[in-house]
Amino acid sequence: MPPAGIPPSRALPPKESSLFKEVLHYYEDRQLKKGLKAADTILKKFPNHGETLCMKGLILTHMGRRDEGLELVKQGIRFDLTSHICWHVFGLIQKGQKKYDEALKSYTQALKFDKDNMNILRDAAHLQTQLRQYDALVETRHTLLRLRPQLRQNWIALAVAYTLAGNLTEAKHVLEQFERIVKNVPDYDVEMSEILLYHLRILEDLGEYAEGLALLDSSAKERTIIDRVSIMEFRARLLSKLGSAEAQQAWQGLIEQNPDCYDYYKGFLSNRGIDLDAITDETRGQALQLLNDFAQQFPRAGAPRRIALTVAVGDEFKALVEPYLHSRLGKGIPSVFTDLKALYRDTAKREAIESIVHAFLDTLTHPPDAPCPPSIDPTTYVWTLYFLAQHHSHLGRHQRALELLDTALAHTPTLPELYMFRGRVLKRAGDPYGAARWVDQARLLDLQDRFLNARCGKYRLRAGLIDEAVEVFGLFTKKDAPSPAQDLEDMQSLLYLTEEADAQLRLGNLAMALKKYVAIQKIFDDFEDDQFDFHGYSVRKFTINIYLNTLKWEDTLRSHPAYVHAAINASRILVRLHDDPSLATKPASQSHLSEAEKKAKKKAKKAEKKVQEDGKKGIANSTNEDKGLDAGPAKDDDPDGTKLLQSPEPLERAAKLLKPLTSLVKDNFEAWIAVYDVAVRRKKYLQALQALNNAHRLDADSPELHIRVVDFKRRWSTLSDKPSETVASVVSSTLPKLIPEEISLELFNSQYLQKHSSRGGAVLGAAKVSRDLGAPREEVEAAVFTALNADVELNLETAMAIDAFLSEIQSSRQEEFRSVAREKFPLATVFASREELQALRRSAVQKDLVDTNESKEEILS
Amino acid sequence: MVNIRLARVEDLLGMQACNLQNLPENYTLKYYLYHALTWPQLSYVAEEDGKIVGYILAKMEEDVADGDEPHGHVTSISVLRSYRRLGLAKRLMIQSQEAMATVYKAAYVSLHVRKSNRAALGLYRDTLGFTVKDIEKGYYADGEDAYAMRLSLKHLVR
Repeated sequence: MPPAGIPPSRALPPKESSLFKEVLHYYEDRQLKKGLKAADTILKKFPNHGETLCMKGLILTHMGRRDEGLELVKQGIRFDLTSHICWHVFGLIQKGQKKYDEALKSYTQALKFDKDNMNILRDAAHLQTQLRQYDALVETRHTLLRLRPQLRQNWIALAVAYTLAGNLTEAKHVLEQFERIVKNVPDYDVEMSEILLYHLRILEDLGEYAEGLALLDSSAKERTIIDRVSIMEFRARLLSKLGSAEAQQAWQGLIEQNPDCYDYYKGFLSNRGIDLDAITDETRGQALQLLNDFAQQFPRAGAPRRIALTVAVGDEFKALVEPYLHSRLGKGIPSVFTDLKALYRDTAKREAIESIVHAFLDTLTHPPDAPCPPSIDPTTYVWTLYFLAQHHSHLGRHQRALELLDTALAHTPTLPELYMFRGRVLKRAGDPYGAARWVDQARLLDLQDRFLNARCGKYRLRAGLIDEAVEVFGLFTKKDAPSPAQDLEDMQSLLYLTEEADAQLRLGNLAMALKKYVAIQKIFDDFEDDQFDFHGYSVRKFTINIYLNTLKWEDTLRSHPAYVHAAINASRILVRLHDDPSLATKPASQSHLSEAEKKAKKKAKKAEKKVQEDGKKGIANSTNEDKGLDAGPAKDDDPDGTKLLQSPEPLERAAKLLKPLTSLVKDNFEAWIAVYDVAVRRKKYLQALQALNNAHRLDADSPELHIRVVDFKRRWSTLSDKPSETVASVVSSTLPKLIPEEISLELFNSQYLQKHSSRGGAVLGAAKVSRDLGAPREEVEAAVFTALNADVELNLETAMAIDAFLSEIQSSRQEEFRSVAREKFPLATVFASREELQALRRSAVQKDLVDTNESKEEILS
Repeated sequence: MVNIRLARVEDLLGMQACNLQNLPENYTLKYYLYHALTWPQLSYVAEEDGKIVGYILAKMEEDVADGDEPHGHVTSISVLRSYRRLGLAKRLMIQSQEAMATVYKAAYVSLHVRKSNRAALGLYRDTLGFTVKDIEKGYYADGEDAYAMRLSLKHLVR
């Protein structure tokens, strides 16, 4: 007779019942083989025992037999729908698959049948945090505290839940109650210190500064808060907010502690009524005086001197910047230019710097073939030339920059910075091949330096030399990694993935480009998953303040430029696939696979075979090894991205990629354009219109927007199946704000062109619209060619876009355009002929072929 | 201008990117998170206009052997080549050491360096005052030996 409340199908005879307890124990101790054996013994007699089936499934999953395990768990649940064990097991497995919302549903089921189970409650709390269900989290944390009030972490966890739910007052009450009853805190306890700092943060966020200060002072005195920097920072902020006279001393203390921290000077000055971000003629003098005092007090600190340069104007600026420049150029500090670049927004400051450094150079100059006279420091001379090259290149004077660098190189041929920067100038001027060659020269001067190596790889990618780039990256990646690219991806190198994806896109290899963009998307998914373990960990460690910051950061994770760029570019590829599905099946314009891809393909085949073999082995002699519940990294069965390119529903995938951008980077013009392109094709007209409105808010005159506005109107007016009344009424009331109703699209386009005829980008945009409106090719070509007129502002990027457009419309005048463009951009090689480009590509890595044959062999073997 | 301050969560990706450009020992983000969320006082960054140009990723040694004292450990420190000669590594190290000593009463700080990495060895020994305590055979994944280096923090503990 089973005990009351246990359904007969779950009850087991005493022998099996104790065997089942053994299964649980074996599982807890990760003695998986023994657990499996015991489960099988029960199942021999009771093949439909739900809980045993689930436990067996869980054990198998841990042993790496995931599919089989999951099947058993599902079976088990069907046999016993009211068992908390069955649901708990299912939840654990779903959690391992990172299906957090489904896992939480299973946990909620489990709690129905065992509402006070602490393990289940704790796991549920972590899932609720991950899913940002903060009200439910408060409930769960309350239950846990009620069950185990003697556990410190249960109090803190409840306060955290309240904080996340936005109820700071309750969070404060919980902490106060906790602090009243907490006993036996060891002296000098880091954990208690962190709890008190968390309490302080809440008081500060609540605006209860006086209470905060009182808690801070008593805790610091009793040495219960031991983090000195945090004490000082809280103190300075709270005193300032309270308008206390002691605030100044507090900020002064922080500056003494770290005289290179900008925030401390800002705080100090702000406390004196000086806003560093909005200096006025009244505050300027006082600010400079105070900064000068600090500069005297901390002779080695850069911050007070550099801040003064932002504050000062006119002659005072000149008087300050001159010694600043001289001392740094004299020390050979490579970053002087990047340090000062921000001042260039002010033309007068820019000109002052230019004339000071040129005058300085004059005092150092000597005949180029004569040795450096003893009165002149040779390194100062070189670094001054380097500075000026950066200066002129920044202002678009590439030729001038190259001359300065050549003088420097003739003087000191061993400084990698000069070669690197020469490469950079060439890159800016439109010569990616020369750029790659020069940066490679820099790398060869110091083969131990990964920074130079990474630059070289990046520049090779910019020049479309993918195999050569990967090869050079491989000199520093782990030797036991499957490939240099795989190591960089495993190490989450967003820089590498972005550059390679862009390079593949430029080469027309959509499959590989998409594959790398998607790899970036996956890395961000991993970043999001990474927080999961800390929901439990941080509450145990009591590092609450940084934990709260972590959650906030995770919520805005995908505003990171690497994600934004990848999402936009991937969506463009997916839109192209939608518009022309044949792109997915016809080979890329560079139809042959590169060497690296061929190798990757071979490797993938091998890996696939190995997986199958391992699978067989796994069944033959199941190991005891605990593989955990997290699904391991999947083997790459799509090395060239073909499968990815051919996956169905490209628009839905694009929409998913772009979704985070609409709330996280609302001021990104390109993002809205991408959102439009996807939305309008998905027939989400309101979303498309909203995207246009946002783009209009950010850059009303942009040609890209102009193209889309016309596109929208064309699509809308020729819709065969009209959308709902509401949509139609919103569109008819909003659209006229973007495009007048009464005029034709042709007229709208010519008005746009007339208004912006001096901008190359607008000329191209208007030509694209004419093409879309069905104008004859000759007319479109003629329109585009006006971009070459002398009164049109045409930058290199736009010229390249025009070149690409002419190629797209199969214009017979493309070569003509390229030859004029070459004259307009004399340093650029991007408009060279096909044969010349071949030679340029070869020359970009030529030096390397001679010098590092040996290491190359090593990589290839 | 370069700003030296405590590392924040939003700096971790920048630290990771900086590390990947400079050093052969790399880590996934989770390891950075683990450092920041366990010892939030110990890691510092050098930042210019929001870009991380140098960092120190530091921790306390968790398994202190019998008879040994609590001590800090530098997991990774580096500065972008284009930001050299500003003394950034030293400034970062000093801030981290202070925190190790005051918050955790660390008696010393340790670090490992590849035997072949002479530039780094010079920085640690000559600029930062570390001394070689030991050679750990095959410390790195590729089998290279490491110098185990130390610097006393006794003068900082209050």
